[in-house]
Amino acid sequence: MKVSFNELQGLSRKAFSGIGFDDGDANDAADVVAWMEAHGLGGITALKKGLDFLLNEDKSQPPELVYQDADLCVVDAHNKTILGHASLAIELGYAKCRARGLSVTKIRHCHNRMLIVGYLSRIARRNMSVTAFWRNAHEPLTEILVSFRSGEAEPEICMYSLPSTPDDTEPNDGITLVMVNHVNLLPDLKPDAPLNNLLRQDRDAMASWHERSLVEGIEVDTALWERLKTLATKMLVEASDDSRLGAGAGTNDTD
Amino acid sequence: MISATSASAPNNLRPASEVMKLERLGSMFASRLSFVRSLMRKMITERWQITNTVFDLDSKGHGLAVYRITTPGHCYHCVIFSRDLAPEQRSDRVIAEAWDVTFAVVEGEAEDSLLEQMAANVPLQEAGRQHPRVLVLSRANKSLRNFSQFATSLATGQQPNPAWLTSVGYLYRTTAVYGNGKFGIADFARLERNPDFNRPFAAQMLAVYVLRQFSIEQLNHLARVQSPEQAVPLHPELQRYLGVGNSTGLGMAPFLINHPQLIQQWVYGRERALASARLEPANEQTHTKLRALMARALKHLQQTRTEDRDQTLRNQETVGSVAEVIDWLDRTPAHHALYEELITWAHSHCSLETQELINTMLIELYPELPDGLEDELGCQESMDLQPDMKARQLKDLIERKFDWALSYREDCPDDNFWFWYRSAEKEEPRLGIRGAESGAEKETALAVGPRISRCHAKLERFLQRSPNAMVVEFLMAHPEQKECVRRIQTLGETPYGEIRANLWHRDMKPMHLLRTKLSFFGASRFDPKSDRWVRITLFQGAPLSAELSNHELSPEKLDDWGFPLEPVIEAGESGQTLQGGAL
Repeated sequence: MKVSFNELQGLSRKAFSGIGFDDGDANDAADVVAWMEAHGLGGITALKKGLDFLLNEDKSQPPELVYQDADLCVVDAHNKTILGHASLAIELGYAKCRARGLSVTKIRHCHNRMLIVGYLSRIARRNMSVTAFWRNAHEPLTEILVSFRSGEAEPEICMYSLPSTPDDTEPNDGITLVMVNHVNLLPDLKPDAPLNNLLRQDRDAMASWHERSLVEGIEVDTALWERLKTLATKMLVEASDDSRLGAGAGTNDTD
Repeated sequence: MISATSASAPNNLRPASEVMKLERLGSMFASRLSFVRSLMRKMITERWQITNTVFDLDSKGHGLAVYRITTPGHCYHCVIFSRDLAPEQRSDRVIAEAWDVTFAVVEGEAEDSLLEQMAANVPLQEAGRQHPRVLVLSRANKSLRNFSQFATSLATGQQPNPAWLTSVGYLYRTTAVYGNGKFGIADFARLERNPDFNRPFAAQMLAVYVLRQFSIEQLNHLARVQSPEQAVPLHPELQRYLGVGNSTGLGMAPFLINHPQLIQQWVYGRERALASARLEPANEQTHTKLRALMARALKHLQQTRTEDRDQTLRNQETVGSVAEVIDWLDRTPAHHALYEELITWAHSHCSLETQELINTMLIELYPELPDGLEDELGCQESMDLQPDMKARQLKDLIERKFDWALSYREDCPDDNFWFWYRSAEKEEPRLGIRGAESGAEKETALAVGPRISRCHAKLERFLQRSPNAMVVEFLMAHPEQKECVRRIQTLGETPYGEIRANLWHRDMKPMHLLRTKLSFFGASRFDPKSDRWVRITLFQGAPLSAELSNHELSPEKLDDWGFPLEPVIEAGESGQTLQGGAL
């Protein structure tokens, strides 16, 4: 089925509230999902993939700041989705970069990492150049590099597979962010390995996708839509005769 | 799209502490900046054309009508489905499932395949899946009283009594006018680059305006069906005096609270126009015009009918107060600083409504609005954190710009009396009494004042431990405060910021919230049906679509339709007899 951007954003927000997100996180998560989908970056697919995980995770435990100095911070997300409080880790990196000109933020042990791109677009909008890097532990091993120029709405995204797996025992469930305040980082991505076609990487293509989603609507899996609706109803109050009076109107307007 | 900052504010703006009090916002009137006035002015200036292309109604007025709207750069169609509605189904609430008419404005041509899709979905409203080319989706119910009386009069060759329209100024009441992506229709983002509809609610207001045209033509059709030989069309003066009703309730409140940047932008625009007018030196001519405007408003208010006791009292108070303003103008000759003297005098002698009416008229006196103002009533709505702000600066900001919120008392029952929630019945917004009604655990976060107060309390405790911390560090300790903090940081930089009220307080009047929004829409004839449900009229007195392309009528004259008065139809002016035709 086709839905509008605003509809996707609105229902996602209500669903995230129904899941138990605080208002701020529900708003951010919904914005991220809708932004990703409207830019052809699979926001809905990522949400579908992570929904069961989201429903079962403990939302009371925010990410833990395990190390920081003036321009570096390391945050442990405790195997939670990036959609939760991880935005604050990004904001911490932003704050440090504003003070120091460059910051490095490492978020360890997190899921749904692709969705971070949606939040980074906000950082770029606030005149910050930001680059994110992470590895997917699939076979073959892939690396993803996302780079926003300061002030740009769309990033360049480069996803490529490595010809051989390095001798490395570290789990691939983290993400590294580099922000710079005064110059643009990595304006041209030139990986040695050939690009695969899993992601569109071109800013113009993403802008065109966005335009098309506004004109034609966004295709959503009906089952997922119904699931989101069910989650959203958790914040609705069952109707009663008393509650019907709470709208302050009669039930018939034949006059 | 722009964002407002205090830096660009004129020096003589009224302070937020005065303007943003809910009681004052709830006392405002439609002005020349209101969205219906703004849209009409654009339609007049650009000579938009609205023509009926399909009028396939049966003898009961049921069927399909299509109107083509041509602007300088684009064309649109308003597609209207009129259906039979059982009396017991006629409800203005959002929980209704059927209406007398359902309609939609669609971008571009209305080809057969699109009409077919719309016929299957527009009448279902929320339950349908609407086409992405639909810009506005709406529905309306008849004022049965007026419809029946008007059709009978016209069928017998008589014009209806204008007093009927003074009592209820419309044939149809819209009960929801949806835009911005609802139920699959186009997002507002798509209209932002469209000069026809890039102002707030412009597309929605056009849909309402076309419904007015349809209501006139459907009425004439019904009269002609009843008596093909005798029927006369509705007199042009009565056509002009006919508006479109709107029935609305608490749904306005979540919009106002969830779009604070937009609301502040509307207020900022109005206040800029007022500040600009107040700088103008009064002279004999403007003195006379101001008096005439006040006299017209006085008569309009005298002609405003409502069964609501409180609103009747308010109207009576305003009528008395406006009469005093006219007396004051009569005894005060024109002089350079007349407006300032009037405002100062009114502040201590007149009701809030009258004070705001004076302001509305001062804006009306000077049609040349500050440059670009009308195009600056929209804004990019995005609230961003300033994570590197010092937490103590955030505390200072709250104490400086949001001091009104700090009077909230956690342990005071009156401060926590109401809670707002959405019902499982079509998500209808409702109000409940905390502790007496169930559902408070699912309340929607509309009470910004208490949220800010709670955030401030947490901030004070945090600063005792971490006096030099940044805002982001406060948020890492209190992540649930993220939304509140970025709202404070964003709105704190704007001239007007938040509506100043505790929406949980026992004495909070939801009607003020409704009227705030409706006055910006351009509503008149406030007719409350309860303390949280109101009927209003839009476009009453507005030029007819046929007049938009009449070059003999000046744009200035066409634009002068605020505070309409009951027309006098002379005897013998019953109009030309309609020729009966095949139906």
